[in-house]
Amino acid sequence: MSNYYNMPKLPTENSPKVEIFVDDKPVMVPGDTNLLEALKAVGIETPHVCYHPFLPVSGNCRQCLVEQEGPRGRMLVIACYTPVAPGMKIYTPASSARVKNARRATQEFMLVNHPLDCPICDKAGECTLQENYMEAGQNESRMRPEYGKNYHGNPAHQFIDAKGQLRGGKHVDLGPRVLLDEERCVQCDRCVRFMRSIAGSEQLQLAGRADHTYITTFPGEKLDHEYDLCVTDVCPVGAMTAKYFRFQKRVWLLSHTPTVSMDDSLGANIWLDHADGRIYRVMPRCNPEVNRSWLSNTSRLAFQNFGKNRLPFMGFHVIQNLVSGVKAEGGKIALAAGGTCTIEDLAALRMLKDSLGDSAELFGGTFKKVGSPDGIAMSGDPMANRAGFKLMGVPENNLADLTKRAGEFKLLLTVNLDIFGEDASQASALEKIQNRVVLSAFNDETAAHGTLSCGVRHWSEVQGTMVNSLNILQKLNACPVCPDEKIRPAYEILSELAGCMFESAADAFKHAGKYAAALSGLSYDTIKSTGKLLEGGEA
Amino acid sequence: MAECVKVCTANFGKGAQDIEVYKKLGGYANISEKLFNMSQFELIDYVQRSNLRGRGGAGFPTGMKWSFVPRNSGKPVYIVVNADEGEGGTFKDHFLMLEDPHRLIEGLIIAGWALGSRAAYIYCRGEFLPCIESINKALNQAYAAGYLGENIMGTKFCFDIFVHRGAGAYICGEETALINSLEGQKGQPRLKPPFPAVSGAWKSPTCVNNVETIMALPWILSHEPEEYARMGTPRAGGTKVFCISGDVKNPGVYEAPLGTPMMTMINDYAGGVVGGKLKAVLPGGSSCAPLTAEEAAVATMDYECLASMKTMFGSGAMIVINDTHNMVDLLNCLGNFYSHESCGQCTPCREGTGLLHRMLNLIVAGKGHDGDVELMQSLCGGFGGVTICPLSISLGGPVSSYTAKFRADFDEYIAKNPDHAKPRVQETYRPGIFW
Ligand SMILES: Cc1cc2nc3c(=O)[nH]c(=O)nc-3n(C[C@H](O)[C@H](O)[C@H](O)COP(=O)(O)O)c2cc1C
Ligand code: SF4
Ligand code: SF4
Ligand code: SF4
Ligand code: FES
Repeated sequence: MSNYYNMPKLPTENSPKVEIFVDDKPVMVPGDTNLLEALKAVGIETPHVCYHPFLPVSGNCRQCLVEQEGPRGRMLVIACYTPVAPGMKIYTPASSARVKNARRATQEFMLVNHPLDCPICDKAGECTLQENYMEAGQNESRMRPEYGKNYHGNPAHQFIDAKGQLRGGKHVDLGPRVLLDEERCVQCDRCVRFMRSIAGSEQLQLAGRADHTYITTFPGEKLDHEYDLCVTDVCPVGAMTAKYFRFQKRVWLLSHTPTVSMDDSLGANIWLDHADGRIYRVMPRCNPEVNRSWLSNTSRLAFQNFGKNRLPFMGFHVIQNLVSGVKAEGGKIALAAGGTCTIEDLAALRMLKDSLGDSAELFGGTFKKVGSPDGIAMSGDPMANRAGFKLMGVPENNLADLTKRAGEFKLLLTVNLDIFGEDASQASALEKIQNRVVLSAFNDETAAHGTLSCGVRHWSEVQGTMVNSLNILQKLNACPVCPDEKIRPAYEILSELAGCMFESAADAFKHAGKYAAALSGLSYDTIKSTGKLLEGGEA
Repeated sequence: MAECVKVCTANFGKGAQDIEVYKKLGGYANISEKLFNMSQFELIDYVQRSNLRGRGGAGFPTGMKWSFVPRNSGKPVYIVVNADEGEGGTFKDHFLMLEDPHRLIEGLIIAGWALGSRAAYIYCRGEFLPCIESINKALNQAYAAGYLGENIMGTKFCFDIFVHRGAGAYICGEETALINSLEGQKGQPRLKPPFPAVSGAWKSPTCVNNVETIMALPWILSHEPEEYARMGTPRAGGTKVFCISGDVKNPGVYEAPLGTPMMTMINDYAGGVVGGKLKAVLPGGSSCAPLTAEEAAVATMDYECLASMKTMFGSGAMIVINDTHNMVDLLNCLGNFYSHESCGQCTPCREGTGLLHRMLNLIVAGKGHDGDVELMQSLCGGFGGVTICPLSISLGGPVSSYTAKFRADFDEYIAKNPDHAKPRVQETYRPGIFW
């Protein structure tokens, strides 16, 4: 509840360095942040529950205690709310038994009313309590069963179990996407703070007080917000669970692919959590400059359709013959790209255009509505790589031109552009074009209207790069979930059509440098996981 | 017993709820040229010289607290009266507001002038309906008489007072929780810093003072500050309104100078212990450590003496306990109260107070075990100085001190359990139950 205005200050590369003493040893730490972040910057992890770098500090879990030397001797303070001051003296469990015991005590209190049913808990394996227990606890329980537990929860959901123990609500329906396990909640307040200060909505509240505090919505209301699944990310324990992922997979069986969401031009950084050749879950991947730790439901749940309705692979030579046939006749060729084309796809496309000479023309864009940024994790522009198009000199807003002049062309090649799906009435003019080659991941409207439709890899299955709306060059990584190994990335097919097949994304990226000066000095492998701000963009 | 000067309770039983009576008794004499000719700094210095310390529990010097309030911050300064009296055994503010509401208003006008404030809030405990009525009536009279509102007494000074009714939570007596509640948020203490003096209600400088603190101001202003200071001890001036309750003949509210011996308070003011021999005294409300009869014999009622005896002066509410009581029952009551009143933010307080209460319940029910007392003491060690507000220690302190001073009472209860020596069995879930 307290101080919702207190957003933590996070260290940056430009933070001034100050000297502080940790366990009597001098260390240089970022000077403009809190102690928890400063210690982290020098490799000292502090167990914490309520602190989240992108949420206002509430300082209520009391897990992050350290000792600070002050005018009245050494005092226990919470690291998450103590600002770094030059020369301050800090003691961690490495030297202070008092800190160790205090953290242990907090841990013990935290578990007093906790069910500890990790074997059947979805959070097990990535649970903050479990981690803190290994870090700060590991104490033998001192409780007797007689003491009982007072599980947190709405009194209306309480029941007596077979052992005569009073229990809290185990699956409370908060809204269309989120279920709450009240017993497991540790009242850290993160979900409430997220909804209040990030989502800007008062849908979640902490009700009651003392050990009968519980999370709830207002009577008769639901948790229903475009970002509501983020509460399942910020929840440190297994209390907030996402209906779509609940009990689908133990988290330690998942592999994680870091990539970028290509349904919006902010390019939210994400993890694709996959196993058994399919994606189980999409999680936000922290990038302070882009989406912080947030992800919209739209971007998060889009994966459910990635494997569906896929377009089968088709032999390359059919396409090649068609294209070279039209070229030989001297017919005009339209090459049209959609917003999910990566920089590599665009490099291949430009190369293809060069090889076709003056008879080919480039088009690109979307008929979808362009909205405005929501300030959280969406820019509102459905054309993900728009900035990349501009950079690569590929038109990003001339589809109307294409439909108007459709009669001029003998062949249309679309790449990742569902132009019929976006606006069927405008796209119908394209049927005037005799040959319509469609490269698409999905068997969508455009594929249905194609005379030759060939499946390519979806953006979640390719290596590559994109430039987001903030002019940050970001890297996509291939998640091994492509339904058919024969399906190839679009850039491979396009570059082969152009007569010089790219061997890898890195190779393609090198070629992209020829078309975009801003990329020429860079190499694919040195792009950081959080991307690279290109010249001319604002941070 | 020596007749002492009555600073706050002088008008008790004289019908001073009515402004005419109050004025006849010398009321509102301070709201005059003399006050308005004083600068804010002179007035604050004046109060500082009186050695007045806050009567809400923490005993912070009032003048010094006022001097922390920044001037010219560009934001309004608020004064908030803490009338949420919730501490066990404390009932002085209730009677003060009921009997002499105009003195509170007069005190607030003085505080308002000292702090350059435009408005004050009286945050009154919701259950105190008669007090609220009494204050509202007095406010109407004071507005009509021109002591409140625009341009008071023809000066440029404008001052309003509002009464806010709390919803009945002990924690809303903590000043930052009170401010949250006043703002309409959940009544939970805030992280400090910033302190309310710098950023309190609506992020503006706010001074929170107890009812009694404010009500001492009119007397201090109409006398010399040194005269007030002389009545108390060197480090805390003046008189104090004590609440005496428990096993005494005449429980009630008594005003006496700070530093009065504890036994004088019990025997001379409250008519002595009844129902048995003196066993223990809680000197400063329910959250302080008890004094045994021997300690009580030498204690004096002031901040320093009680602090030196490892208890506290608190709100000056003495609870007298005779030897027919078992301290475990008392502690169980406290456990019930504080575990219910914890605001539920900090992990140790939220989970710990409830656990202690459940353990105490078991002991009282004859189901205690050997080692329970040691466990409780060790759990309370986990409260020390690690929570946002001191409420956790309000239970942790008593648990430590009761068990240390009255161990026999606990052992007596635990012995009632035939299985009290049974060792703890670790209940372990093994794979096989779930799959
Ligand atoms: C848990 C808790 C409860 C409190 N309850 C009260 C109360 O009921 N009345 C009160 O005047 N002060 C109470 N206080 C003390 C206030 O926080 C604050 O110190 C006081 O209002 C300051 O006024 P003073 O300087 O005039 O004493 C409480 C403090 C705590 C930590
Ligand atoms: S939240 Fe789940 S995994 Fe974490 S400690 Fe509790 S039961 Fe175990
Ligand atoms: S539901 Fe999760 S995030 Fe919300 S308060 Fe409980 S533990 Fe914290
Ligand atoms: S100590 Fe208890 S009452 Fe005080 S803020 Fe923490 S939880 Fe709330
Ligand atoms: S992380 Fe610091 S108090 Fe919770």
